[in-house]
Amino acid sequence: MGFSINDKRPLPPSGAMKKNITCEFCIVGCGYTAYKWPKGTSGTDKNNALGVDFSKQQPALGVWASEQMVNTIADRDGKEYNVMVIPDQNCVVNQGQNSARGGAMAATLYSKNTFMRDRLKDPQVFGGNNLNRTTWEDSVDLSARVLKKIIDNEGPDQVAFKAFDHGGGGGGYENTWGTGKLFFKGIQTRSAAIHNRPAYNSEVHATREMGIGELNTSYYDTELSDTIFVIGANPYETQSNLFIIHWAKNLQGATLDAKKKEFYKGETAEAAKIIFVDPRVTASITNAIDLAGADNVLHLRIKPGTDVTLMNALFSYIHEKGWEAKDFVKQHTQGFKKAANTNIISLSEASKVTGVSADDIKKAAAWISKPKKSGHRPRTAIFYEKGVIWGIKNYENIASIVNVAILTQSVGRVGTGVCRLGGHQEGYVRPPTPEGMPGRENLVVVDAEAAEGNYLAWFAWGCNPFVDSIMGERLAGAFRRRSDIVKRAMSRNIGADNEAMAEAIYKACKYDGGLFFIDIDIYPTFKTQVAHVSFPAATTMEMNLTSMNGERRVRLSEKIVDAPGTAKPDCLIAADIANALKGLYEKEGNGEMAKRFDGFDWKNEEDAFNDGFAGQGAKMDSQGGPTGVLASYDLLRANGNNGVQNPITKVSNGKLVGTRRLYTDNKFGTKSGKAMFLPTPQPPMPKQVANQMKKYEFWVTSGRLNEVWQSNYHTSRLPMPSTRWPVAPVQINPKDAKDKGIESGDLVMLYNDYGSVRVVAYVTDSTRSGELFMAFGFPNSPASNIVTDFVDPSTKIPFYKGTAASIRRIGRVEDIANTMSLKSRI
Amino acid sequence: MKEHQNSRRGFLKAAAGMTAAAVVTPSLLASQNSKNGNFYGYEEKVIGLVSKIKSAGEMDFNYPDTDSPCKAVMLDGKIKAYSLLCTHKGCPIMYNATKKAFRCPCHFSEFDAELDGQMLIGQATENIPEILVRVEDDKIIAYGIDGLIYGRESNIKG
Repeated sequence: MGFSINDKRPLPPSGAMKKNITCEFCIVGCGYTAYKWPKGTSGTDKNNALGVDFSKQQPALGVWASEQMVNTIADRDGKEYNVMVIPDQNCVVNQGQNSARGGAMAATLYSKNTFMRDRLKDPQVFGGNNLNRTTWEDSVDLSARVLKKIIDNEGPDQVAFKAFDHGGGGGGYENTWGTGKLFFKGIQTRSAAIHNRPAYNSEVHATREMGIGELNTSYYDTELSDTIFVIGANPYETQSNLFIIHWAKNLQGATLDAKKKEFYKGETAEAAKIIFVDPRVTASITNAIDLAGADNVLHLRIKPGTDVTLMNALFSYIHEKGWEAKDFVKQHTQGFKKAANTNIISLSEASKVTGVSADDIKKAAAWISKPKKSGHRPRTAIFYEKGVIWGIKNYENIASIVNVAILTQSVGRVGTGVCRLGGHQEGYVRPPTPEGMPGRENLVVVDAEAAEGNYLAWFAWGCNPFVDSIMGERLAGAFRRRSDIVKRAMSRNIGADNEAMAEAIYKACKYDGGLFFIDIDIYPTFKTQVAHVSFPAATTMEMNLTSMNGERRVRLSEKIVDAPGTAKPDCLIAADIANALKGLYEKEGNGEMAKRFDGFDWKNEEDAFNDGFAGQGAKMDSQGGPTGVLASYDLLRANGNNGVQNPITKVSNGKLVGTRRLYTDNKFGTKSGKAMFLPTPQPPMPKQVANQMKKYEFWVTSGRLNEVWQSNYHTSRLPMPSTRWPVAPVQINPKDAKDKGIESGDLVMLYNDYGSVRVVAYVTDSTRSGELFMAFGFPNSPASNIVTDFVDPSTKIPFYKGTAASIRRIGRVEDIANTMSLKSRI
Repeated sequence: MKEHQNSRRGFLKAAAGMTAAAVVTPSLLASQNSKNGNFYGYEEKVIGLVSKIKSAGEMDFNYPDTDSPCKAVMLDGKIKAYSLLCTHKGCPIMYNATKKAFRCPCHFSEFDAELDGQMLIGQATENIPEILVRVEDDKIIAYGIDGLIYGRESNIKG
């Protein structure tokens, strides 16, 4: 924080260092501009790098830095600087606006004056009773020696890793490449899991197998839609600037000129309507009503777990009315008949299952597909996210949505698309998984395996497995138990050199059930407590980082400050481990194994980018695709905060040129090139969840809060979100609260067979009687504690959104109840 | 009423060990005419009468200058006052007397009038600045601001 009550803040002087930053938080990926200048210097009100006259009050929507947008930091040379990070007026994504998350990026910088001072600064190795700070050489050498013993004696699959696979602050193309190359090309383990789930899988297998990549439209296209159809998502809180900039304009009718320009001649162009499928009333819904009027907003308040039936009902009714895109279905799709045989359902039956009235289903079908006044087909953009991805059965949930999309040709055309809304940004480029990696139906659920005693080593890389996985409480307990076995062995070997210590660790894992735990992160967390080696990573603004947003827009987010202590970019940490293993194998003359760890001679993150995203093209699994090789840091820098949308098509006049929308040619990603319908029967309630429902009183779902990001690592340290949400809230309907003697602000316990969690009660009409909604991702009150171990057998994606629990009032902690607002958020 | 306490800022200072990182300009240090001695640079100003706000429930005023619209509200017999410029993008926030909260019509951020202006949902990175007031006889006197007003680099111009 740079501001106290009596101060005038420093302004960047003309000539201050200026860099492009892409927001490190949600998938929207807003553009920001960062300024850095020496502490003790300042521009003036009238003469500053922002070009704004601060002797005058700035108008609404103007250029301004809030308190959280300015910070003071020290670089490694000890020199202190002011840093300002403000939203970029010229970025087409956010047009000068910030969200509650991105607007606080300057405040998340490492600074000795704030809570961010507890960043991990140097590697640590367990010794005595706790982690001891040490050198990179020492910690990497010990890790490599243990890993080598496990690889040589037990095979590479006994080294498991759980890591980010994405873009943004915790990832980026550089870092997914570095980690992927270490594990898939070097170690060659198949024991892999992704940061927020217990296996190595896509969250959207179904849409890809139907021939449609999950990010196929542009944010501009959503300004042109006639209907926006949102399933299992709360975009005001989780993709904020997409909602309040692009969708808001369209819902208010402010994009009619653009529509007239982009539509066919004579085609009806009106303000958009919007449909939400959600068991809760969310701020997205109430704000959409403010923007568009109640007549243009339709809330289909389904019973949890019935999305597939609702989609099948829309599919059936659209077909019955003849509103499908007949020519498109005939020429560019396959499998309609087979899908229809399973999916056709009557409105009355669907209404009974979903709790949505037949009239509302008809209305939704009309908004999605009924020809407009001019006779043209409506342009519908369909968006879905965790409400269905983490729903009752991941595969069918997604497939049933894509069925509706291809029936109505809601893909490829101006103003259409069928996309996930996304959480974090994307940034995948990795070597193919090692030979013998099972397909999606036979993937190993590695988190559960580790809890059962499998694996000898475990990497937790930029993620928090005990907050973002199945059966969190059981998982944490198992890891703690297995970690302690290794810790005891390490404590017994007082004074051992790394070779002797590695042998002791290996034996404790091999014979005593221990698990050697390597943690790579930016802050200490609960998992750091179970770690034997901890490596400190760099993050956004501390390294150059490339990622892709929800419309496939790639930007170079530039380095502007040094990472704390000796922290490094993840790709270079991976390279250190790979190079150490290579050295050990060379030393014993094992050229074959040494060769697997070739190609990590990177000096910086740009080397990793040039090797991965820009170096591999079609040779590797990359979101850059075959034309990613056209990119370079210099060209991305030239494209600035507007970047380029994948796939890149060419370089023209020194600028990268990309692709606004996919599938404009109706060529889809199947063997035949045709989009594929799939049969999607309503999935039954999984046995584990059904058992909890029998024994416990309330259905419990979970989701995100606007102000809290991922596992709350930065946001729990920021002044506003940490006072706003000291612990996770559980939303409870007023009737249920009264029955249970619970008031807003009371501490309550949720419990079931899997675990328990203490949270704060938030009484609200947002949730229905019998249903509770809990905020996800709080390490001090994790919803995952009461999540079952069920995963979709087709994809191994968990059902985080569905469990049952009972609720009991504990009491009241006044410091919690009195410091957080308990008023309605809808 | 915690009108003489600076609770939110107090939290920041205590919790984050904040040091003043800003350039403190001589002009601000020179104009120390606040009677309470804590809020240098702010002119004390009578913004209204307790007798009037008691009946009306709320009262608009400007502080510390005419470019800064503010509102004082009566809450359970206590007076709280806030800037009316949203800390997200500067739109004028509207008071909902039933909810005792402010809402921004542009991007829907909401601030709790009963909790020092805490953002209860929305896109701002800060709570809404609180105008610090005290009561002397029937007079309501503004004497400082907790938080930075939208669109400024210092609350006091110059």
